Amino acid sequence: MSFLNIVRRRLLLLVLVVVGVSIVTFVISHMIPGDPARMMAGDRASNELVAAMRAKLGLDRPLYVQYLSYARDLLSGDLGISIRTQRPVADDIVRFFPATIELALAAMVFAIALGIPLGVISAVAKDRAIDQVTRTLSVTGISTPAFWLGLLLIYLFYGRLEWLPGSGRIDSALTPPPFVTGFYTLDAALAGNGAAFVSAVKHLLLPGITLGFLHLGIVTRQIRSSMLEVLTEDYIRTAKASGLSRRRILFDHALRNALIPSVTMIGLAFGDLLYGAVLTETVYAWPGMGNYVVQSINALDFPAIMGFTVVASTAYVLLNLVVDLTYMFLDPQIRGVG
Amino acid sequence: MKFDVKGMLLGKAMLLGAAALLAIATAGSLPAAAAGDPTTLVVGKAGDVDTMDPAVTVTNNSWTVTYPAYERLVKFKVENGKGSTEVEGDVAKSWTVSDDGLQWTFTLNDGHKFADGTPVDAAAVKYSFDRLFKVAKGPSETVGPVTEVQVVDPHTVKFILKEPFGPFLAGLATNGACIVSPAAQQHEKDGDLGQAYLAEHTLGSGPYQVTSWEKDQQVVMEVNPHYAGPAPSFKKVVVKIIKEASARRLQLEKGDIDIAEDLPVDQFDALKKAEGVTVVDEPSFQVTYLYLNNTRKPLDDVRVRQAISYAVDYKGIIDGILLGNGVQMRGPVPEGLWGHDDASFQFTTDAAKAKQLLADAGVKGLKLGYLYSKKDPNWESIGLILQQNLAPLGITVEMQEFAYPTMREKLNSSDFDIAAGNWTPDYGDPYMFMNYWYDSSLHGLPGNRAFYTNAKVDDLIRKAATAANVEERKKIYAEAQKIVIEEAPYVLLFQANYQVAIRSDVKGFIYNPMTLQMFNFETMSRAQ
Repeated sequence: MSFLNIVRRRLLLLVLVVVGVSIVTFVISHMIPGDPARMMAGDRASNELVAAMRAKLGLDRPLYVQYLSYARDLLSGDLGISIRTQRPVADDIVRFFPATIELALAAMVFAIALGIPLGVISAVAKDRAIDQVTRTLSVTGISTPAFWLGLLLIYLFYGRLEWLPGSGRIDSALTPPPFVTGFYTLDAALAGNGAAFVSAVKHLLLPGITLGFLHLGIVTRQIRSSMLEVLTEDYIRTAKASGLSRRRILFDHALRNALIPSVTMIGLAFGDLLYGAVLTETVYAWPGMGNYVVQSINALDFPAIMGFTVVASTAYVLLNLVVDLTYMFLDPQIRGVG
Repeated sequence: MKFDVKGMLLGKAMLLGAAALLAIATAGSLPAAAAGDPTTLVVGKAGDVDTMDPAVTVTNNSWTVTYPAYERLVKFKVENGKGSTEVEGDVAKSWTVSDDGLQWTFTLNDGHKFADGTPVDAAAVKYSFDRLFKVAKGPSETVGPVTEVQVVDPHTVKFILKEPFGPFLAGLATNGACIVSPAAQQHEKDGDLGQAYLAEHTLGSGPYQVTSWEKDQQVVMEVNPHYAGPAPSFKKVVVKIIKEASARRLQLEKGDIDIAEDLPVDQFDALKKAEGVTVVDEPSFQVTYLYLNNTRKPLDDVRVRQAISYAVDYKGIIDGILLGNGVQMRGPVPEGLWGHDDASFQFTTDAAKAKQLLADAGVKGLKLGYLYSKKDPNWESIGLILQQNLAPLGITVEMQEFAYPTMREKLNSSDFDIAAGNWTPDYGDPYMFMNYWYDSSLHGLPGNRAFYTNAKVDDLIRKAATAANVEERKKIYAEAQKIVIEEAPYVLLFQANYQVAIRSDVKGFIYNPMTLQMFNFETMSRAQ
């Protein structure tokens, strides 16, 4: 099957997934006891006022009518107005989603940039001291709660050493860079604003490390075990026998093959990072989707919950597609079977 | 096969990467924090503003920003450096009320201007209140039964009421009564009365105006150049959103923020010993109490309710949960608010009396549910203490935890035995307690959450609401209080202290129990 066919088929699947997810989320969120109109009017609002607000918000209509009208708006790209913030949900998502993606990317870069070399070293130096240290580190990473690690890093790097800021995305005295991608680091660089760039990078470091630490452990272990497997293969022995340099054998032959199973894992881990960012975002007052969704759920803000679910599931499906395509790129054999 | 790790480029690359990270981390010193600057004040809050529209928002987090951005007809008095629950003129210079209590006429002060320089006149007042009632959301109910607002002349505005309403003036000091510039109309979209615009912008005549809002990060307020009062010392106020309490505390200790709100009591306790930080610790009007469902057997028996009120260990709750930062309630109207009666009856912890009352009621082996949520972390601890306190009476308390929206629905539909709750008044009037809690027409969430019904009490409190003068109202409320304390539809637990931590060099904070989380930024300054 050709690349194009695969992409086409997967995009069709995407539509089905989004429709399915939107129906399920819609039904579940509307079946939870609780009244967003009451939430908005305040606890002690009179029952008449709340009823009038329900009518105004259209919450008194039958559920399927509410869903159909939601779906109609969705098709025209309208995610509705948030009950809690009174802002268009799409605006809120455009505002908060990039912050989470920037954080997840930073975490991913940290995990990969450190995890791959550590995994390789660990495999190459199997059972030697450095391997033991690396393995301990990865187990620690996997089992450390983000919340605890976050507070620890804040205490150390902000409270004690005063190297890094303790919260937010940029210093409060600085104006955030003009919105282009929503990534403060990138936007600041694009705007040529050095001070904002340095501040944004500094603000990104601790949350990125906190969120990435878990995945550092996973990446390291994954790379280590794939490398160990690959290094015993015949072609490595052949390569060695033919007199290739250690470096070429390691990077051109072993690592490339060891990476293939890791790509899927890393792709899925990125999805996890997006969802797993909630705790990290809370500790660092990072204004991302995690925060937004938790607040929306607490306020029973249906349009916001729906908007997030639809966007996140779309992103997840697309991410999987990208992973599969990367997979094919790395291993031409798969192209034939796809 | 074996590879020599030392020979690998990887090691070098890693070192380089680590060095680069460290270089960025330490590049220059930290940018000078805004706090410490004599013209900028930084406040650290746990939650962001939801919407800035005074006709829509009902949360204190929003009021932190809207209150100083707008003015109202009246404001709370400051007496001897202390905030009072009584009001005086702000935009209004003076007022008169007709003998039947139905017409209030306000004469406006000169010189009050919106941030865009246009004057605050009678038309603007009428516009704001008309808009409030047309938007018809939560805040529209806090200003009383207004049927019409009339412009008499540019300096005079008249409110017509459906019925006399004792707390009317007090209600005009609340957020719903903010005077919004009619310029809001220019931003109307799809007939929303400017709600989308005002959700993110302020159009008021208060000392500050919002100049930027990075959602979930910070709100920046700068001085309104046309503000009628003395020029504020802080030209800029930054409200930073820092969700995690320990991070908020750390930033206060480091001097990166000047005010830290909403910390757990033990954190405040620790901060009292910290250098350069002052903890304000004042009695508030926020009360915590238990709703006993008066429609459920055997809680419909006054003796059973009294027995529970006698069984509770008030001191244990205040010392254990609040670390002593509160007092046991004496009657429903909190201490410090007019209408509070220092001589009224207060339940004490008396196990023998409780046992006797329960025996008189013929109740044995009772099982009661205790409804609560994590909305207030104290509620769970209170439930556990209650469980212990009621066990010797043979009452088994079953803890029933729900998410707050669900708990709310259960409260509203009378689906509980005992439930935990908090209450803060919108304005400084005993009406907020007596009428809301005991009027049988307000059963459920709106106020009477114990589903208590007593025709005599209904009569009294309704009379008190419409009576002409304060002395008369006081007398009627005192009579009603006697009955409701005795009948114990609620267990009156405690009146908690309000705590906030402020950098010691920030001077001039005036505490007012009516404006929790709303600060007098305009009269605060930094000592040099």
